[in-house]
Amino acid sequence: MTSLSCPFCGVRELAEFAFHKTLPNAGDDPLSAVYLRINQVDDSHEYWQHVRGCRAWLKARRNPSTGEVLEMNLLGAVTS
Amino acid sequence: MKAAIKRVGTRLSDKTLRFIFDGREYEAQVGDTAASVLMAHGIFALGRSVKYRRLRGLLAVGPEEPNALLTVGVTPMVIPNVSAPQLQLREGLVLKSQNRWPSLRFDVASLLQLGSGFFGAGFYYKTFMWPSWRTYESLIRRLAGLGEAPGASDLPVAAVEYLSCDVLVAGAGAAGLSAALVAAHTGARVVLVEREPVLGGELEFESALVDGQPATSWVTATEQMLQTLGVRILTDTTLVGGTGGVHIAHHEPGGLAGHNKVFHIRSRVLVIAMGAIERPIALINNDLPGVMLLGAAERLSRRYGALTGRRAVIFANHQRAYAAAARLVKAGVSVRAVIDTRSAAVLEQDAVTARHCASLQVAGVLCLSESAVVSAKGWRTVTGVDIQHLRSGKAKRIACDLLLTSGGWSPAMHAGLQGGGTTRYAADKATFTVTDQPIGRVTVGASSGHFELAAVLSEAASVTARVMSELGLVSDGAGIPMGLGDPAPRLAPYWRAPCTPSQEKRQFIDFQNDVTVADLRASLAEGFRDIEHVKRYATLGIGTEQGRTSTVLGAAILAELKGESIESVGLSRPRPPYHPMTMRAMAGLRVGSALRVAKRTPLHDWHVSHGGVLDPMGLWMRPRFYRSNGADAAIAAVTEARRVRTTGGIVDGSTLGKIEVVGADVAAFLDSMYLTKASTIKIGRSKYMVNLREDGMVLDDGIVLRLAADRFIATTSSGHAEHMLSHFEHYREVDWPGRAVTLTDITDAWSVIAVAGPRSRAAIQHVLGSEWQSRIETLTHMDFAQGHYAGVALTVLRASFSGELAYELHVGPAAAVALWEALVTSGLEPYGIDALDILRVEKGYLVSSELNGQTTPGDLNMDSLVRLGNPCVGRALLDRPAFHEPTRGRLVGVRAVDGCSGFLAGAQLTTLSSTQPLGYITSSVFSPTLNEWIGLALLARAQAIEGATLIARDPLRGQETPVRVTSTVHVDPTGERIKS
Amino acid sequence: MPLARRHYSALALLRARWAGSRYWRPLWTGRTLKDHYDVVIVGAGGHGLATAYHLARDHGIKRIAILEKRLVGYGNVGRNTTIVRSNYLLPENHYFYEDALRRWGTLSRDLNYNVMYSPRGVVDLAVSEDEIPAMARRGNALRLAGIDAELLDVAALERAYPQLAPRRVRRFPLAGALVQARGGTVRHDAVAWGYARAASALGVDIIEDCEVTGVRSHADVAEGVETTRGYVRAERILFATAGHTGMIGTMLGVPLPIETHLLQAMVSEPIKPFLDTVMVSVFPGHGETYLSQSDRGGLVMGGHLDGFPSYTREGTWDRMQDVVAGAVDLFPQLAGVKIVRQWAGTNDMTMDGSPIIDRCRYDNVFLNAGWCYGGFKTIPASGAACATLVATGTAPDLIKGYALSRFATGHLLDEPGYGPFPVRL
Repeated sequence: MTSLSCPFCGVRELAEFAFHKTLPNAGDDPLSAVYLRINQVDDSHEYWQHVRGCRAWLKARRNPSTGEVLEMNLLGAVTS
Repeated sequence: MKAAIKRVGTRLSDKTLRFIFDGREYEAQVGDTAASVLMAHGIFALGRSVKYRRLRGLLAVGPEEPNALLTVGVTPMVIPNVSAPQLQLREGLVLKSQNRWPSLRFDVASLLQLGSGFFGAGFYYKTFMWPSWRTYESLIRRLAGLGEAPGASDLPVAAVEYLSCDVLVAGAGAAGLSAALVAAHTGARVVLVEREPVLGGELEFESALVDGQPATSWVTATEQMLQTLGVRILTDTTLVGGTGGVHIAHHEPGGLAGHNKVFHIRSRVLVIAMGAIERPIALINNDLPGVMLLGAAERLSRRYGALTGRRAVIFANHQRAYAAAARLVKAGVSVRAVIDTRSAAVLEQDAVTARHCASLQVAGVLCLSESAVVSAKGWRTVTGVDIQHLRSGKAKRIACDLLLTSGGWSPAMHAGLQGGGTTRYAADKATFTVTDQPIGRVTVGASSGHFELAAVLSEAASVTARVMSELGLVSDGAGIPMGLGDPAPRLAPYWRAPCTPSQEKRQFIDFQNDVTVADLRASLAEGFRDIEHVKRYATLGIGTEQGRTSTVLGAAILAELKGESIESVGLSRPRPPYHPMTMRAMAGLRVGSALRVAKRTPLHDWHVSHGGVLDPMGLWMRPRFYRSNGADAAIAAVTEARRVRTTGGIVDGSTLGKIEVVGADVAAFLDSMYLTKASTIKIGRSKYMVNLREDGMVLDDGIVLRLAADRFIATTSSGHAEHMLSHFEHYREVDWPGRAVTLTDITDAWSVIAVAGPRSRAAIQHVLGSEWQSRIETLTHMDFAQGHYAGVALTVLRASFSGELAYELHVGPAAAVALWEALVTSGLEPYGIDALDILRVEKGYLVSSELNGQTTPGDLNMDSLVRLGNPCVGRALLDRPAFHEPTRGRLVGVRAVDGCSGFLAGAQLTTLSSTQPLGYITSSVFSPTLNEWIGLALLARAQAIEGATLIARDPLRGQETPVRVTSTVHVDPTGERIKS
Repeated sequence: MPLARRHYSALALLRARWAGSRYWRPLWTGRTLKDHYDVVIVGAGGHGLATAYHLARDHGIKRIAILEKRLVGYGNVGRNTTIVRSNYLLPENHYFYEDALRRWGTLSRDLNYNVMYSPRGVVDLAVSEDEIPAMARRGNALRLAGIDAELLDVAALERAYPQLAPRRVRRFPLAGALVQARGGTVRHDAVAWGYARAASALGVDIIEDCEVTGVRSHADVAEGVETTRGYVRAERILFATAGHTGMIGTMLGVPLPIETHLLQAMVSEPIKPFLDTVMVSVFPGHGETYLSQSDRGGLVMGGHLDGFPSYTREGTWDRMQDVVAGAVDLFPQLAGVKIVRQWAGTNDMTMDGSPIIDRCRYDNVFLNAGWCYGGFKTIPASGAACATLVATGTAPDLIKGYALSRFATGHLLDEPGYGPFPVRL
């Protein structure tokens, strides 16, 4: 994996992005949300930020066994 | 000096140059490599092996060379392990052979090979245990290692270039050129990289026509065509790594680290056309200098005329050996015999071989079928070979000084196996090739097991067109070259000549690490059966040549010993980089000051020119102290701190993080981000606030200013702005999606000058002039006012990090130096970070020593803030039982019991009678106000009682100081100064 | 019954010199998988092998199997930078790592296999005066616990390591170092092989190419494991699967405080002796390089995690570049030395950076996991302590702190204070 695609900026070098954590389960209590991680070998749901770019927070679905990005969306995007 | 007779070769010019090898001066022709000229001078022995220190000569002429590694330069400025066949000679170059003492010819440690039966695979795991490994280690380390350790280096920083293209072709032989042509004709952007200084690869030896021209002319014409089509051609450039869509190539001309360049090439398609590597056949004493690969001899002969007059025996298992023999004969090498392992029946069906045989025999070359060279004879160099008929066993000895072996070719798979490829074995060609490569990555030509020119050209073109069409780049078939070259090599797999079990320890597979057939047998006997285990146990293929000549041969022989198929044995997985790369080049631009780009405040140059001693603090550069205030940091800091308390001073606080928070929803948003509420701050007021991390630990502290109902500035610790901004942004997106909260890092938009001390108000009023006079007069603690200074925006905040009457002046960088100098002119002197540290410890204010990510608000005496119950991020996890136990630390002040002894931050606190730590000193300074050492400490709550006596134990620095627990506020506990 | 193992010694090597390679016996014998064991250990890495050895040796458990998906020692035990040390800040950690360091000292003789423990010292460099207090805090905690540590100033650093030229102008000038002289390196593969040989000699069945795919249970008791070679009944099960622990959690239906990251290492071509210690440099901007020279002469180096979950075992170029840049910054004279090989391991990073050795989900299922950067260096201590936990059902004092419950109670073991994130934003 050498690059990611930002919904605003397009394909950019991986070094511009920072991984934050995997998404907690919906409805987790605070303790679980902070500490527990869902480890999936082929379908990982993650928070990333285009931190050295437009600073958009992103929600990614990735295959950690291949590095393939399955989906990349803006976090916090509001649909009407 | 040793002069040489003039040689003729395709890479040689008539000009001469001189160089030094092992202390003797030699003459070379411009274009020579170290290997070619030394061979021409009759110097066959060029190095010694790692384990047995056996004398070794050249095996190959590419990066696969395991033996002929030299040290270039003069101690201490040396470059070790330079491949002699790739090292382009330059005038005056100084070369040394390696891994020998006292000389290459006579090496004391080479006596080790007498014990080769003792030093078999993994012997070191079985002994050297008594009394301890360390006893033997230093001797073993001196024997191991290859080249001299450099003591200095003057290598320049590598240039770095970023390229973007549709198709990257690695390798410019027949396949690579064909692929590049097809790709370029579609209009795609193409980059072609080639390791050699010239294009063409094996076409150098091709006698056939391509597109109706001689192969070498076709190469020249193709190069021109590619340039016309806009292809970027990079010679002396090797693909070294990269995954996904970005590939790294390294341009390093002359085979020696020097001026070089690293390319980061983003490409949709990677076409790997990196050829194949010829492999040797294992036989007894196959490591004697003078035993080399047939292809290497051809190159030495054609390019450098280096083997003229030598007597050679060729040992091979395929048809190509005969054409090579004919070319060598033509070049003046006396070929004595071609020994072919294939049976007479096979040879008879092979018309090409038969034709070559006939003409070779006319030239006096003995051609033997179904025979093998079983042993190389000689002491130091080859003087002859023993040949055996494989069926009858009939033996024969031939005198020679070169034994040229060729056991076939192993496709270069290094690049193809990154990113998910697997291998497949083709028994007829005895090749492993890559399959199941990820999308956008293909392997063509000899790298994919094709060895006939016609097939190579067409396959490379069609595979390239196919992979491009998958990506929507359509080829119309233009540019596909046609050629009719030598037919398939008609190879019969053959890996090692017959020998007795005891002779197996002289059949070498991996030359650099002295891995023999006996070592593989020993590995199997000890249960290391998987190729990955054998690789690690027998050290197979881990040398500087990255196993290029040994992995396939090793796998084949392992298969034979195990009685399994080669396919089931498989190969160990190669690792990047695909080609050794200097650490300088790999570091790229991150060298010296660019390791991390330093952040400087607008006042940086002023500090430097006024005696400020600047130190990195995170990525920032900040003045620790000013030389005019004392000879060393400790004296200067005390002087500066005392002056602040008595008169006043200014400090550069520009590194303070500042985040502007704007929008209708920001008050509520900030309430959720801080332990206390921001929404209660009145406009024009500010408040000291604390953030928690998700797990409840204190993350940061700072002052939050409210500029308007919907506008705040949140300040953060120096260097924390970026992290805090991300933290805020994350929660905005997760918890406040679509709400009006805009976050902007304005750290660099405002310079900060903190003015502190009794005279600070007067000085500011004086400097800022009449318009500010009354506004400053009316500012109470934590108020701020906004206006201008010299036409530049200015915020004056009455806040203190020193406990003194103090102001922070946030001013646009354009006016920072002018304002600073005006303050200096008004009589305030600058102070540094060390003095600031003293002032804040005197007041019990927190810095990173206390906010270290391990402390809760309760630990820092902020229980009352927690009890306010603001449900902020991290609040929910503060109720965990461990955070309320009596052993949990709490921040206290400490002072020496005797009022004069010192103690340092990092000392551990214990009771008088025990050495069990109960806490530790987080910060310590000598207080000029109190004239004694004071500190802050995190101390178990059970002991955190004012007046309690403990020992500050600091065995590291030889201190043991009785201390008593005090309030954290050492100076001005009632806070009168701050409000004055 | 397999042939008795040969004792290893110089004398034995001499004997083998005459007897030929047939003198030696396989280190561990491929036994057939039985259908029932007292203890099934999943994973033939360092921790699994060491635990099996101690279960057999110290607790007399007879029927033990180690089920390994691929090969003995093919995971992180053979993919690390071989560093051993016990210079940890927190008592729960430093007493445990110190137990390991003491055991490294005698392990070669205990196992009759030379693991090449080389106490050449571990030097943690301070790249700012500001780092000295935290280093002193750690060093003093170690000294008071009876563990060696020394704080060097720049002058002492210069005397001890002249090749470092500590006074050279650097982007981040050196301010001193915390040194643990008994720290050093151990030959990584030898640890796996040595334990495998010793465990095998005690009757442990080491089964390679046998992947565990599930746990069969009844009520709250695990009854055995499903494997690619069929079902195996087990009285107790231990998972010691390093980078695959997250997946084990998913398999057991228990989310764990673990995230799997990639950690790279790389090695240079061999050169003559250059550095007889382990240098560690952590510098601002997420920079980290640790560097030592192997006995073969290669410079072995590593640094930070790649920074995102990955099972690819292929590191990013950017991280490799940064690690090497850090090494060249420390030793500019190495600029012309070539890197020949890079590799990567999958690290199970916990949310406080310290390991987990505890029961998991079932009363008879145990977890030995979450080793973050520290798995290799603890193997001998982990094996002994984990064996006690599995054999007796009670965690010995040394590993009481490594319970899973610590996240809920707040008894966190967060050495660097990074909080519940293996990588910082």
